[in-house]
Amino acid sequence: MPSTAYPARRRIQVARIAVVVLLLLVLVAYVFPYAYLLGTSFKQSGATLGVPPSILPPVWSLDNYTGLGNHPEIPQTFVNSLAIAVLSTLLALVLGVPAAYAISWYGTGAGRVFFVIALVVRMVPSVSIAIPLFLMLGRLGLIDSWIGVALAHTTINLPLSIWLLAGFFESVPHELEEAARVDGCSRIGALVRIIVPVMVGGIAVTAVFAFLASWNEYLFALLLTTNKAQTVPVLIAGFNTQYGVDWGLMTALSVLYSLPVVLLSIGLQRKVVAGMTMGAVKG
Amino acid sequence: MHVRLNDRAFALLLLAPAALFMLVLVAYPLLDLVRNSFFNGMLSAPDAGHFVGLDNYASAIASPQFSGALARTILYTLIVVPCELVLGIAAALLFNAIGQRSAIFRTVFAFPLMIAPLVAGLLWKFLLSDNFGVINWILHWVGILRDPTSISWLSDPTLVMFSVAIPDIWLTTSFVALVVYAGLQGIPGDILEAATIDGAAYFQRLRYVTLPLLRPVLAVVLVIRGVDAAKTFDVIWLQTQGGPAFASEVLSLQIYRTTIRFGDLGQGAAIATMFLVAMTVVSIVAVARVWRPGEGARRA
Repeated sequence: MPSTAYPARRRIQVARIAVVVLLLLVLVAYVFPYAYLLGTSFKQSGATLGVPPSILPPVWSLDNYTGLGNHPEIPQTFVNSLAIAVLSTLLALVLGVPAAYAISWYGTGAGRVFFVIALVVRMVPSVSIAIPLFLMLGRLGLIDSWIGVALAHTTINLPLSIWLLAGFFESVPHELEEAARVDGCSRIGALVRIIVPVMVGGIAVTAVFAFLASWNEYLFALLLTTNKAQTVPVLIAGFNTQYGVDWGLMTALSVLYSLPVVLLSIGLQRKVVAGMTMGAVKG
Repeated sequence: MHVRLNDRAFALLLLAPAALFMLVLVAYPLLDLVRNSFFNGMLSAPDAGHFVGLDNYASAIASPQFSGALARTILYTLIVVPCELVLGIAAALLFNAIGQRSAIFRTVFAFPLMIAPLVAGLLWKFLLSDNFGVINWILHWVGILRDPTSISWLSDPTLVMFSVAIPDIWLTTSFVALVVYAGLQGIPGDILEAATIDGAAYFQRLRYVTLPLLRPVLAVVLVIRGVDAAKTFDVIWLQTQGGPAFASEVLSLQIYRTTIRFGDLGQGAAIATMFLVAMTVVSIVAVARVWRPGEGARRA
């Protein structure tokens, strides 16, 4: 930003320092809950609920993490969460890529109607759709299965993916397809061999979003699983409502559950934020 | 563009699988929901119910629990959304003030966007606990509270709606901040420079130049966050399950309790249908009046 060299240069300097100090304060307040979660997970099991609480662990320990070993169901829930998130992401992309392409390139009336419907679906409260979905999947025998939960998560992921992908498709020049067609490609051939490869970045961002939405989803997973396909959030929440919460164990489990997401978001941070703000600014 | 008739058929062909999916897994369940609201079926035997007309609606509307949950849903939205907007805009302006050097701040700020609301709810339940919770102790240490157990954040019925809102505000202020920051980047520097030369002070520029230019972005954020706040489930459920004594039960929790805990499919469906219709109407009005898509909503 070109700051014009206007009168009080020193005042600008002071204001700038004030801004940085203010930001640091905000940041500390913002990061504290995480830091405290992480710190608590490394307390000795006795110190988790110490009164008064200690900000940092008095003694660093892996008690809470080794304690997770007493719950043999935990690894399976991680496998379930991963499998469901991957399935749902693939489904959203397989259905979403052609749909988004059709909407953004051909812009037919049907496409626009579909776009509005996808938007409205975003406004549907999960509970309203979760219960009829539960009944329907029950009739199909898909309760407590990966595919059942993945289908439910795709009802969230598909509109989201179409929304994001349509934006990415709009940035691909039409000449690319025309050139491919002139060279004798069929329409589908042009889409699969020419356009999709150009879109890899956008598709990757969309996949991350779909994956995260499924990994973090709780209500559908709660209603649609009993134990075989139980996901991590359902397990964590289950510990929470049982009598006598083991907070140490919960903090350790929450840290492990959030870890892949945090790593993923650090790795792809700039792209993901760009996608998120674009998605938001557009819808 | 040369759109031939053939193109149209091709486009519809590409749309068909997604449309079919939405039809089967979204449209059909929603129709089923509306149908259930006119029957007195139970969750254990969903098809055994009889047609009861509008009975489910009448008994829902007549119950004080429904009006309570409705009021709390509105209250929750009115707490959460303005807080997030004010804090988020403030953070975005701070980022903007130091320009590119705010990258590290924005990275840290982006974290909550990825974290499950469930974990946030749980974490704040832990922080706000009235005996071992660290928030009360911090307030005690800095001298605000004499007795570190004196605020019962989650078990005081008059306070609980504000307490359950905290994780939501913490979680999504970053969303508002990052979107608004993106919007700020789209404001041409020469307009602000012109205002400065004309002698406008910072807050005048903010009031008369920046915020009006941000309007489309703010409108989108307002609509999205308003809708999301009204349908919140995870965060509140994890902290209080609607308690104490329903003091934090919003509509989404009431639908869940009625249908799953009490197995009353018809009553739950009636509340859900009303909720759905209300949300749709509010969203359509909001989109048409506040958001006004097509009026430069894409500028950022």
